Amino acid sequence: MTAQQKSRGFIRRLFEAESLEEMAIAPKVGVYAALAFWTLIVLFPLYWVLVTSFKIEVQVDSGPFYLPFVDFSPTLDAWNFMLLENNTLGPYLNSVVVALSSTLLALLFGSLAAYALVRIRFQVKLAAVLTFIVLLIAVIAAVALGAPWQAATAIAIALFLLALGTFVRRFEAAVGNNDIEFWMISNRIMPPIVAVLPIYVMFQHLRLLDTQFALISTYTGVNLPIVVWLTRDFFAGIPLDLEESAEIDGASKFRVFFTIALPLVRSGLAATFMLVLILTWNEFLLALFLTNANAQTMPVLVAAQNTTRGPQWWYMSVLIVIMIAPVIIIAGFLQKHIARGLLIGAVKG
Amino acid sequence: MQVRLENIHKSFGQVQVVKGLDLEVRDGEFLVLLGASGSGKTTALRMIAGLEKVSSGRIRIGERDVTNLLPKYRDIAMVFQSYALYPHMTVFANIGYPLTVRGESKMAIEAAVKDVARQVQLDALLERYPRQLSGGQRQRVALARAMIRRPAAFLMDEPLSNLDAKLRGYMRTELKHMQHKLGITTLYVTHDQVEAMTLAHRVALLDRGVLQQLDTPTNIYNAPANLFVAGFIGSPPMNFLDGALDNGWFSSQVCKFETKRRSANRDVVAGVRPEDCKVTEPGAGKIVGDVYATELMGDHTLVTCRIEGGTIVVKADKAFNRHDGDSIGVDFPEAATHLFDKRSGDRLA
Repeated sequence: MTAQQKSRGFIRRLFEAESLEEMAIAPKVGVYAALAFWTLIVLFPLYWVLVTSFKIEVQVDSGPFYLPFVDFSPTLDAWNFMLLENNTLGPYLNSVVVALSSTLLALLFGSLAAYALVRIRFQVKLAAVLTFIVLLIAVIAAVALGAPWQAATAIAIALFLLALGTFVRRFEAAVGNNDIEFWMISNRIMPPIVAVLPIYVMFQHLRLLDTQFALISTYTGVNLPIVVWLTRDFFAGIPLDLEESAEIDGASKFRVFFTIALPLVRSGLAATFMLVLILTWNEFLLALFLTNANAQTMPVLVAAQNTTRGPQWWYMSVLIVIMIAPVIIIAGFLQKHIARGLLIGAVKG
Repeated sequence: MQVRLENIHKSFGQVQVVKGLDLEVRDGEFLVLLGASGSGKTTALRMIAGLEKVSSGRIRIGERDVTNLLPKYRDIAMVFQSYALYPHMTVFANIGYPLTVRGESKMAIEAAVKDVARQVQLDALLERYPRQLSGGQRQRVALARAMIRRPAAFLMDEPLSNLDAKLRGYMRTELKHMQHKLGITTLYVTHDQVEAMTLAHRVALLDRGVLQQLDTPTNIYNAPANLFVAGFIGSPPMNFLDGALDNGWFSSQVCKFETKRRSANRDVVAGVRPEDCKVTEPGAGKIVGDVYATELMGDHTLVTCRIEGGTIVVKADKAFNRHDGDSIGVDFPEAATHLFDKRSGDRLA
């Protein structure tokens, strides 16, 4: 150690690192204290749910008791009831099937849409869009006034095609990629509660209420904008050269998408998959409206534990624990894939 | 196979990038498209590849009109400046991609990949990923991928510009050898005149979307068709003197010499290459001036000499040892001069 380093004052030594390899004492203490605090904030609720699942009614009501075996003696009563006597498996399977399939569907369609928005230039005539909307309103009005819907639709389609071939061509104004993208994302701006009743009525008429199909299709539609929004940037990040090269090598657009573009954004897709999966897994509002017995999902079941006898915290906790577990496991698996660096080496030497 | 461009125009919006390009690449020929950035050379190549649409004109490969054909039906292979290797595939899969896409059998692909990999000395690296390769190796993967299909034509877009100087020289030799051996028609885009002169059977020099000269490297160098070509080719560039032609004599502010041309012309530019000039005692040469700067290049010295109304560069002996400001003479043989019409820029043949 040089003389200069030795002579550093106490305060200075506290805040200034001795070498590049270690932190100074004060920042180190500060950082770890902050991390410990935040860890507590994040983990305590999980811990609380876990211990509550091993309690019985008395232990919850006369609590709080924090430490199993010390404060209270844990029992498996709540677990026994929820897993063996109650129909938990049904909603659980529903949740798994609905969340996985709607997430995968949203990912498939959403990434296709995002890729198209990034790589293909769209020019939809504004006049065509407006004509479509006007005709749509006309059809609704006509049907409401008693016209047969088949005839109304057929006439509207005919008129629309006629418009496309005639006056629509004369208008310059067109909707571009950014407008389409904004429109897609803007679907998410609307509060879901606004759409819930129309969706309910629609499935009621289709006699599809309380089916997995209703939930899967609704969730897919609801999550498409998020997938498009997130994945478009991943696709935009792929060097165009790669895709052009593949096209010259003989691949079709779909082949380029599935063999070049999609594998290159897989870490982004993994992150998107995770996010959308969590959103659907935890979705409550739509599930509450669209299901009652057969297609009920876990969030609804958890809410159902808030009974006339008051909230059954111990049962809820069991359900929450088994709900959280798979998501944590999947997140653990995907963590590797979310790591970056795949594109390094693709371009340039 | 022969590649023909017939009166190709290309505009991006208001900007005309290629203006009436006519070009015929002979079967088996190595043709270099040379030009500064913005000359339209890359756009021309991309139109041949089918990555850009032509605004007007026709493109033929062999007997086929490919003007509106998708890239994959044009039977061409392209090497990109960035190499465009697929980062998620091994070297083997990269090289084999054009065959995989065409649905060839696994055995056929393996045999073809091994064969072509041996030609470019990649046989030991087939299991690696692009990110694990050096710049030169990546370049060879890109070449191998282009070669594997034996296409009708190779298109190369500045393939060597991402390599360091030494490797570039080596790969230039390799490329020339390979092209000669395979005998496949090659269009090569570069801004580097050394690459153009060394590689090409014929060079097509483009400026602002217009073909300036299409000829062998020797003819382009020895008989530049116009002022642009004369100024572009050669390093350091040709010296130009403004003057007039009268009765076989060229006369300017600084010098006067006899030419073979008998016609009179008041606006003439005489060009003379630095290596055709030599330094003499003041008074002994055609031009008198004083030393402005000297640069020792190793095997020769570049002397910039200030003359009335400008400077003139002379490639002198490496032993040149005058000081800045010294008065010198510059001499050159009349036969080494090039005469151009100043207004049209064309060579006075």
